[in-house]
Amino acid sequence: MKFKDTYFGGIFGAISSLLTGMGVTLREFFTRKVTEQYPENRKELHISERHRALLVMPHDENGNNKCIACGLCRQACPNGTISITTRTVTDEETGKSKKVLDTYMYDLGACMFCQLCVNSCPKGAIEFTNEFENAVFDRKKLIMKLNR
Amino acid sequence: MNIREIDIKEFRQEMLRLRKEGMDFLRDIIGMDWKEDGIGAVYILENSNTHEVEEVSVRTANREKPQLPTVCDIWKVAELLEREAYDFFGIEFNGHPDLRRLYLRNDWTGHPLRKDYDPSEAINPVRLESEKDEDVRREYEIQEEKQLAELVERLKILHYDQYVINIGPQHPATHGVLRFRLSVEGEVIRKVDIKCGYIHRGIEKLCESRTYPQILAFTDRLDYLSAHQNRHALCMCIEKAMGLEVTERVQYIRTIMDELQRIDSHLLMFSCMAMDMGAITSFIYGFREREKVLDIMEEVTGGRLIQNYNIIGGVQADITPGFAEKVKAYCNDQKRRLKEYYDVFVNNIILKTRAKGVGVLSLEDAISFGATGGTGRASGWACDVRKRHPYALYDKVEFKEIVHAEGDSYSRLLVRLEEIEESIKIIEQLIDNIPEGDYKTKTKPIIKLPEGTFSASVEGSRGEFGVFIDSRGDKSPYRLKFKPMGLPLIAAAHKIMKKCKIADLITIGASLDYVIPDIDR
Amino acid sequence: MFDFTSMTTAIDSYLNSVLPSSAATLIECAIIAVCVIVAYLVFAIIMIFMERKVCAAFQCRLGPMRVGPWGLLQVFADVFKMLIKEIISIKNSDKILYNLAPFLVLMSSIITFSCLPFDKGLQVLDFNIGAFFIMAASSFGILGILLAGWSSNNKFSMIGAVRSGGQMISYELSMGLSILTLVVLSGTMQISEIVETQTKGWFIFTGHVPAFIAFIIYIIAGNAETNRAPFDLPEAESELTAGFHTEYSGMNFGFFYVAEFMNMFIIAGIASTLFLGGWAPLYVPGLEGFNSVMECIPGFVWFLAKTFFVIWLLMWIRWTFPRLRIDQVLALEWKYLVPIGLINLLIMTICVVMGWTF
Repeated sequence: MKFKDTYFGGIFGAISSLLTGMGVTLREFFTRKVTEQYPENRKELHISERHRALLVMPHDENGNNKCIACGLCRQACPNGTISITTRTVTDEETGKSKKVLDTYMYDLGACMFCQLCVNSCPKGAIEFTNEFENAVFDRKKLIMKLNR
Repeated sequence: MNIREIDIKEFRQEMLRLRKEGMDFLRDIIGMDWKEDGIGAVYILENSNTHEVEEVSVRTANREKPQLPTVCDIWKVAELLEREAYDFFGIEFNGHPDLRRLYLRNDWTGHPLRKDYDPSEAINPVRLESEKDEDVRREYEIQEEKQLAELVERLKILHYDQYVINIGPQHPATHGVLRFRLSVEGEVIRKVDIKCGYIHRGIEKLCESRTYPQILAFTDRLDYLSAHQNRHALCMCIEKAMGLEVTERVQYIRTIMDELQRIDSHLLMFSCMAMDMGAITSFIYGFREREKVLDIMEEVTGGRLIQNYNIIGGVQADITPGFAEKVKAYCNDQKRRLKEYYDVFVNNIILKTRAKGVGVLSLEDAISFGATGGTGRASGWACDVRKRHPYALYDKVEFKEIVHAEGDSYSRLLVRLEEIEESIKIIEQLIDNIPEGDYKTKTKPIIKLPEGTFSASVEGSRGEFGVFIDSRGDKSPYRLKFKPMGLPLIAAAHKIMKKCKIADLITIGASLDYVIPDIDR
Repeated sequence: MFDFTSMTTAIDSYLNSVLPSSAATLIECAIIAVCVIVAYLVFAIIMIFMERKVCAAFQCRLGPMRVGPWGLLQVFADVFKMLIKEIISIKNSDKILYNLAPFLVLMSSIITFSCLPFDKGLQVLDFNIGAFFIMAASSFGILGILLAGWSSNNKFSMIGAVRSGGQMISYELSMGLSILTLVVLSGTMQISEIVETQTKGWFIFTGHVPAFIAFIIYIIAGNAETNRAPFDLPEAESELTAGFHTEYSGMNFGFFYVAEFMNMFIIAGIASTLFLGGWAPLYVPGLEGFNSVMECIPGFVWFLAKTFFVIWLLMWIRWTFPRLRIDQVLALEWKYLVPIGLINLLIMTICVVMGWTF
């Protein structure tokens, strides 16, 4: 019978294992703490560029977007998050009628951030940003109009 | 897939023969509704030694009252799998000792995965009152003179004069919404009744009306701690069906991300086990390091829990420039931290006395219950899919399959911690050699799979995760089945929790490491 | 060393001179009660804040930081939150016992608290069987816990209460044995005299090995008595949600909470009284200059410093270890602590008889 299997061996083994554990916690007692104090640390807070928090439609300096109102994103969405209304505009020079975007509505409350809409867009008109502070008190505010 | 159909009359004999031939691991039972061709099930069997796979199916033409012979006396896991098939397809398994619904409420009308199911709200309105617990169970038996059997007897599950304790669905130690009903004598558990389905979302049903890219989003929400592996399995299955080859770069990225996810999951398992045992400080230490994995993953995938990374034909986005350095720095740090875990928690005498010899799952039981993953390996079953049926780059990297023989809660914890080291080894072998190439292969905007049945399986964080697709050439599957990692664990838990103490139930639950959304789907 | 007896006797004689003696006694009782309760609450507040910060430091966190500078006002916010919570009444519960239980727990801990010698003469209850009385008073808190569990009409509470019954009654034994070991060493049961003896060397030094073993046993048993991890089975939040106080809300829960913390203070206070010399300053024979410097530090500072050191030790233990299982808790007591405690008592007796103490 080995010493560590005896009654007293067991006691000493137990005490040494407990002391090892206490040694670890004592060491951690004095190490630098890892708490991040959000929202005080907003300035140095790092959020990944690829983090998906909000769908946006970028506009250039003239206020134009790239959306051609094709509706592919609406079809791709599993949750029916996107709804698009269009109007038909006739080009005066060529006389061709063209579908243009009227409103692009996006329901953040139903979005599951699967990125299918962004993947399906042929023009790269929509994208996800990492602006994550989107909490509101009213669900209606989560339904946003993306085009200007 | 090559599914061999067996006539219902010879089915039991054939299954017994297969079991005798060494097909001791029942991977999955997939309930099927072939419309006018009848209703039935596909059984995927595997030989745990030779890793030979055999797929068989059986069907019955009687759509009104479909009945099949049970196999739950041959493979123990079939008990729950058949309950699932009964729940979703209404297939009555003759000889099954406890045929209740598994996921849906017991006052549910109809069987939702049947193609003739009417989902209208008039039949199944939103019920606000809680269901009555069924304390009796039905049993069907094959009777000699007529093949179709009738309800034979009702057995009590829990008797009113027993001291019944309800643990869950909201309970700190069930890691989600799982419910145990325990009949106890003092501190000792006499009977366990496990109820699932509190987070059942009908994902398999939803899949039948979604396109393949849309289905991908569901996999992250099954077992959220093996989101990458789940999605990897589904992508692999679809790619296999389409005949699409992914580039080597994608294979590298996928393998690395799978392993990072495994580390993440195992760290969580360690932490949660520590918390369940009352060592809250160890819990925080584990989570501190898990945070770093999540940070790395967020940088690349944009998500911490719902990663959304693998897509059909590749990955969503290329890895970021500093990825390799960050991963290497993390791996080095983690190795040092692992020692700390051993010192503060794993080698602790209190944990050893509490977990050693508690909830022993024997090798035969592990295979019969199909308890893959860390649980199976702790019982001495070399069941790693990465070794059994290598996929991605697992046949090119060197790693040890951790196998312990004891089968108790303690060895289940050790397996997880040692697997973290192996995962780090795999990552270190790959991280410097990621080849150049495309991070995704272009696919058509609308993805249609050819007709046929396809399956793929990967080693998830807590076992084998499988995908089975029956395609009819459409853009959405005719039937899609996810093989959950947790259901066999629940089935095994049922057995090993008996005669334990209440505190042991928590230990066993923590060491089995199930994730409820994966079980319930 | 300043003796508070002179101050208290002065107050006593003044009151007796202006009032009839019965009224004087009554007023003294009232003053003392107020003092004890105020001190009790002040220490409870310090303890709760300390627990949160110490626990956070062990876990590599910062702890409460928002309410007041460094979260100093956190405890007041907690108490305010508890006060505005509804006190729910449970269906089919035993209303009287249910409401009585937290007060029993609180009462036992306040009585024990008043036995602590904060400084020379600064002690409410002091009589010749003081150590014995502490044991008796602290052990009826268990009654409150049992009643709480039983009257809540909740199975979790019931299991928690039964667990705590088994655990606390068992551990009373080894606690008694280790106190007895020290009584053998000091030769008296009166708390003030025990401390007085230690002005010429603390018992943990003069009693050397057996006193140290008794100290370890006392810390373990004390931890178990206060229901704190690794002996928090009666609460065991991952098994029984909150054990015996699952059904308590608002300030009724607050009483259990405060009593638990104060029991820890009491355990630490008794430990510092018996083993670390209470208010007695550090005394090293032969170093007269050093000793006189130590004498300058007031006694209550010594007492509190030692007590909070022991509390920190208890917290260190609490935030390191996993919880035991009920059968292991009892095995630890009956197979290890009691036999070791008995042998230790024998060794101590031999040491005292043979004069092998310092």
